[in-house]
Amino acid sequence: MDATGETPRHVLTCGEVRTGLLPTRHCLDGRDAARLLALRTDEQVRVSERPNLHARSPDVLTGVDCRLPTANDAKIRAIGTVAARAVLTEGRVLQATAYFSAPAAGLDQRQPWGYYLVRPGVLVPLGRLPEQAVAAGFLARDRSAVPSGELGLGSIAEGLLGQLSRHPLLDHDVPFKSRRTRLRWAALPVQDSADASIERFTLDDDGLRTIELRLPQSTEPAAVAGLCEDLALHDWLLTTVVQKLDGIRMGAAEGAAVMNVVRPLVDHLLHLWMPSARVDRTLSPLWEVLETEPGFTRQWQTLVQRIRDQLTLQAIAAPAEASTAP
Amino acid sequence: MTEAVFRETSAQPRTESVPLSHLSLELGHLHMEDLREGPDRLRRHFEAVRPWIDAARAGVAALTGGRTLRLSTCFLIDDYFTRFSTPAELVPMLLSAAGEADLTIDYLARESGCAVTEDVHLAESVMRRLVESPPPGSNGFRPPVSRTGWLTNGQRTPPQRTSAAMTATSWKPPSETGAVRHSIHMDVELWDDADDHRTWSCPFLAAVWQLARLGLLRDNGRPVPKPAPWNGEGFPDDWDDLPPLLRLTPSAAPFTAYFTCTVLPTRFLPVEHAVRVILDQIHVDSAALGQITERSAREGIHVPVQIADRASYVFPPGL
Repeated sequence: MDATGETPRHVLTCGEVRTGLLPTRHCLDGRDAARLLALRTDEQVRVSERPNLHARSPDVLTGVDCRLPTANDAKIRAIGTVAARAVLTEGRVLQATAYFSAPAAGLDQRQPWGYYLVRPGVLVPLGRLPEQAVAAGFLARDRSAVPSGELGLGSIAEGLLGQLSRHPLLDHDVPFKSRRTRLRWAALPVQDSADASIERFTLDDDGLRTIELRLPQSTEPAAVAGLCEDLALHDWLLTTVVQKLDGIRMGAAEGAAVMNVVRPLVDHLLHLWMPSARVDRTLSPLWEVLETEPGFTRQWQTLVQRIRDQLTLQAIAAPAEASTAP
Repeated sequence: MTEAVFRETSAQPRTESVPLSHLSLELGHLHMEDLREGPDRLRRHFEAVRPWIDAARAGVAALTGGRTLRLSTCFLIDDYFTRFSTPAELVPMLLSAAGEADLTIDYLARESGCAVTEDVHLAESVMRRLVESPPPGSNGFRPPVSRTGWLTNGQRTPPQRTSAAMTATSWKPPSETGAVRHSIHMDVELWDDADDHRTWSCPFLAAVWQLARLGLLRDNGRPVPKPAPWNGEGFPDDWDDLPPLLRLTPSAAPFTAYFTCTVLPTRFLPVEHAVRVILDQIHVDSAALGQITERSAREGIHVPVQIADRASYVFPPGL
């Protein structure tokens, strides 16, 4: 039962996570992480220290009344609130998520605003929701192609990142350059009490990732957001380390140049790999699917091994260079 | 799902519940100017209020399904915008004037307590819970109210351009979202800032006051404001030394309630309209709201889902 006294039944949950390096030189400790993410003064930031340092802001809401994207260009208007939250992992990787869930149908007319405020993070459609078409439309929309007046989850997440990046705790002197990634997800209910599944995980080359999920209807939207934040974090780690290693021509580059690239990765990223650390138990099997194919952890271990090999080579080369120096 | 074995309290906060009356009845809201007029002014106030108190009591008794009525009364003194006299002088005068009209003030509150109470910045917390009602077409790009300090119940008139080329642009009226045929547009100033000091507006503090009475305010899960007991021995010489919320009647029903009723002079009507506009756009703590929904359902009492509909008013003649 929720605050309205009803048991909510959602047929669609959608969200977008933006993941990037916290724009500051040193990682934040738990106390500063809580200061950064204090979006409210009356609600604590959730700080957890096991199995890694993880801080999560309270959800903040944005009211919307607009069209939802659809794959078949059907016009569907929805009203309600989009929830947004920020997560900081090990004081180093900052993520902002904007997400909503939607029931199968709503009343034919817009209700007083209070009706929507007691259903935080829910967008209520006018009439019936074509959930398949909305899920497909939502995943297919590229940022440049979002028609004006259509729901912009990405801009809500971006707005939250922008707000946080103005915090005086941050010095904007990043230890290394990296790109933000966007991960967009849509979850539809499973058919006939089947298990949760990942239908599709797509990597676009412009930093957009899309995931289509099938989940039991009882799954909390916040739990789905948690799973997708975890996937986005690990995908960002892989993407960033691959990009960095691609940037140096192994073997050809100078030792110092290699160290300049490798060292910040060791200092700031290598210890962050911890799949499924806080994912809801009912959803954690989905991680195992990705471990089999494409094999996230396998790729990560290979990358880590490459970095360690480079360090070993540098260590062997360094005395040699020192002895040949004039 | 089974309970998790490992728990970190900083990661899983809890929301405490509050005791609940059926009705929180406010016997009046006087400004310092009214109080300055002395005991006669207060006596006239309570005499004019008296019959309506009985009516409000009878009205809410019908909603309780035959259970013993739990009702508490309160009185709010404005010490935020102006200050006059001392609690030691003024409060006894107030209580005796109420007593003469056969009325009891169970809880006495100071308006400053709606801004800051027990080191908790209540008004600031509530401000951060404003979620503006989106006019049709809003898709997530809107300047938040925290930047402007103004809250509306609809859409404002677009800014007028004065350049010659734009003179052809016709004036567009403001509109109320969800208007019944014709708009009644309201734009409420929530605060002003001067010299690094923020002054909250009267309607905004009144909205905080309504939320406090409705048991919907929490500070990290802890109910605020908490009524302080009175030792029965008189009142301090400084308003700041008077607890923001004081329980004058030891056996009083809880301060917080399912419904509020406020008896006010008609000149406060615009303020209370503004309060409604504000309450309509506050996202209250879901856990606190859920506790009230669950408890009222168990008692068989229908509490409106919308917060603003839980507050009622009486504007009697002669106040």
